[in-house]
Amino acid sequence: MATAAAATVRWRVLAASAALRLALVAYGEWQDAHLEVRYTDVDYLVFSDAAASVAAGGSPFARATYRYSPLLAFLLLPNSLLHPAWGKLLFSAADLLVGLFIDTILELRGVQAKTRIWCVVAWLFNPFTFTIGTRGNCEPIVCAAMLWILICLMKGRVLQAAFWYGLIVHFRIYPIIYAIPFVIVLGKNYAGPAGRPVLTQWSSKQQLQSNKARENVEEPTSLLATLWNFLSTLVTRDTILFGLLSGSMFFAWTGIFFYLYGWEFLNEALLYHLTRTDPRHNFSIYFYHIYLHHQQGFSSIQRLASFLPQLIVQLALIIRFSRDLPFCMFLQTVAFVAFNKVMTAQYFVWFFCLLPLILPWTGMKLKWKGLVCALVWMGSQLHWLMWAYLLEFKGRNVFVQLWAAGLVFLAANTFVMIMVIRHHSHTPLFSAPAGPRTKIAAKKE
Amino acid sequence: MAVGSGPCLLAVALLAAAWISDASSSDKQADSSQQYVNCMPCSRTYIADAYVDALTSQLSEHRELTEVRDTADLCKGLADELDVPTLSEVNRQLVGEGSHRRLIYSIKFGNSKDAMVQFLDGYDANLVILEKLPSGVFADPFELQHFVERKVFLDVAVFGDTNLELPSALSNRSAVEIHFDLKPSTSMDYNLVIELPLHARYPPLDASGYATVEFGSPDLLLRYRRKETRPDPCVWALQNLHATPVEKAAWRIPCGDEAHTGFVSSLTFISALVCSMSIVLAASLTP
Repeated sequence: MATAAAATVRWRVLAASAALRLALVAYGEWQDAHLEVRYTDVDYLVFSDAAASVAAGGSPFARATYRYSPLLAFLLLPNSLLHPAWGKLLFSAADLLVGLFIDTILELRGVQAKTRIWCVVAWLFNPFTFTIGTRGNCEPIVCAAMLWILICLMKGRVLQAAFWYGLIVHFRIYPIIYAIPFVIVLGKNYAGPAGRPVLTQWSSKQQLQSNKARENVEEPTSLLATLWNFLSTLVTRDTILFGLLSGSMFFAWTGIFFYLYGWEFLNEALLYHLTRTDPRHNFSIYFYHIYLHHQQGFSSIQRLASFLPQLIVQLALIIRFSRDLPFCMFLQTVAFVAFNKVMTAQYFVWFFCLLPLILPWTGMKLKWKGLVCALVWMGSQLHWLMWAYLLEFKGRNVFVQLWAAGLVFLAANTFVMIMVIRHHSHTPLFSAPAGPRTKIAAKKE
Repeated sequence: MAVGSGPCLLAVALLAAAWISDASSSDKQADSSQQYVNCMPCSRTYIADAYVDALTSQLSEHRELTEVRDTADLCKGLADELDVPTLSEVNRQLVGEGSHRRLIYSIKFGNSKDAMVQFLDGYDANLVILEKLPSGVFADPFELQHFVERKVFLDVAVFGDTNLELPSALSNRSAVEIHFDLKPSTSMDYNLVIELPLHARYPPLDASGYATVEFGSPDLLLRYRRKETRPDPCVWALQNLHATPVEKAAWRIPCGDEAHTGFVSSLTFISALVCSMSIVLAASLTP
């Protein structure tokens, strides 16, 4: 009875958020037609122009500043054939799908229906996310694909996960940061006794922590031995299959589009993102540094100095948390965005879709620590936006203040990450039947 | 090569020269070619594309205008004893604050309303505005295209560097050509107000904190052709409207200061290092 009731609530939540999104898309059409300030994202016009160019038999890269996979232009072909709002509906549908996938993932991990609803609501009614989809930003598609890959991994569908992962890295590149944690969870302890992965259930977390305490005793002491043991767990049928298939997917799509559109595709859709430095103001702490150096270029020391913190944090998070995969992915994404050389508000969606996946495991209560985190994060962002407004729309020279506001925002991101780490109860995604002791325990049961 | 190609080329060259030199010298030329009517085949959409290099190059070097053909004979009969509209007043203002502003042109024709209606009944006519943008300012061709879709402009094109993202130090100049349709209408007073949205690039570093970008005078032309009995090949007649030089518009754009380089770069790297280390520490200290 309770589950049926929960299912009704879930469908109501989805229906309400679908209605909200439809209303916003309709409102956006109205605002675009009547007000001077557009509701629609500038990038959406770029995608649409690129799609129109493809529809006319041309290259999507004929549209300057189109810097995405041609797949996006193909997806938006109906924009010129059916209705210009097609893409917004598509992105909003992906956005709803993310809500559904959050529910699925949490259900697989044994989270109660009532908690799950709140987590789904945290995504679907997050003002950041519903405006981003309805304004025509393509990120919800990437979010949906990432969560679907996670579901595939949780259900033991390694090949399907690899298929989508290769595709999505081609599509948006940044998910490449999840490659190492994926390989780590796919290592030796991935497949349980029945050949399928066994998921750690939410209710059993206390028991697991005691299991973990026992495992720790067995760990070898020498660093070299630890490293060797770790590396040897990474070479399995699953990791090799995953690596080969996702790698070939990535190179196949990249190859096809290179064949079709040549260097223009490679430069705009791939190399641009890898080497992107933007001297214009954005949330990144590096923007003013880049602007101050744009006339003479960067030394290799400077390049290294801006890359090193990013690399160190990624590696530390992977080493420490990869077994708790959704948690690791969340932290990796927040850190990746925070330390990136370019940061815009649309990147925040990348971790907003992972946030609901870790909420049931946090010991942080909304009163007051959770609220403090949210306020610190939003407050530092609003502070930055105020200076950016003075610079861009009032023409005041506030470069130094804006850059300092960027440093404050980085500090806020760091503060929130540390709070989240400290209050999280670490729970491996898969309960690994690793040591002989656990096997005995399983037999006893 | 182009020596004998007639007055048509001469006028275009004069026009180009006017762009390259400052407003005062274009003033002098204005008198000499006041009555002159130039022609352009209908197959050519824009006026500025033939000498775009000369228009936007940083050096005021005069380029050979190879693309322009001799169309003087095609002009015959177009300008005969015709009461071609002239301008009585042109104003240009830079409106707005910050990095996104609008150049607003208010243009008045000197002819009587009846004369205008009579002219426009017999001729298709467009007002052409050529604005050579100073370094540091750009027009977004895609944004302007939406003006064409909304029928605000008949047509518009941006020549020169149209990369919208680069700072001024790494980009070249550009020029905008706007075609505005003139329609016979008794309700309209032939006082036109035309808005051109512009955007600032990030200027080169300067210790003063602001870079000042100044606009030269725009060129205004009238392009017309007879509505019926079009000659073959089809040509547009072009008349330089020789607007009196408008007020110079200046745009102050905030810019970075090289003196900040030392502390900005070092503090940026230190903050990144401190924040990354505290995350690493928090991660390794969790039970």
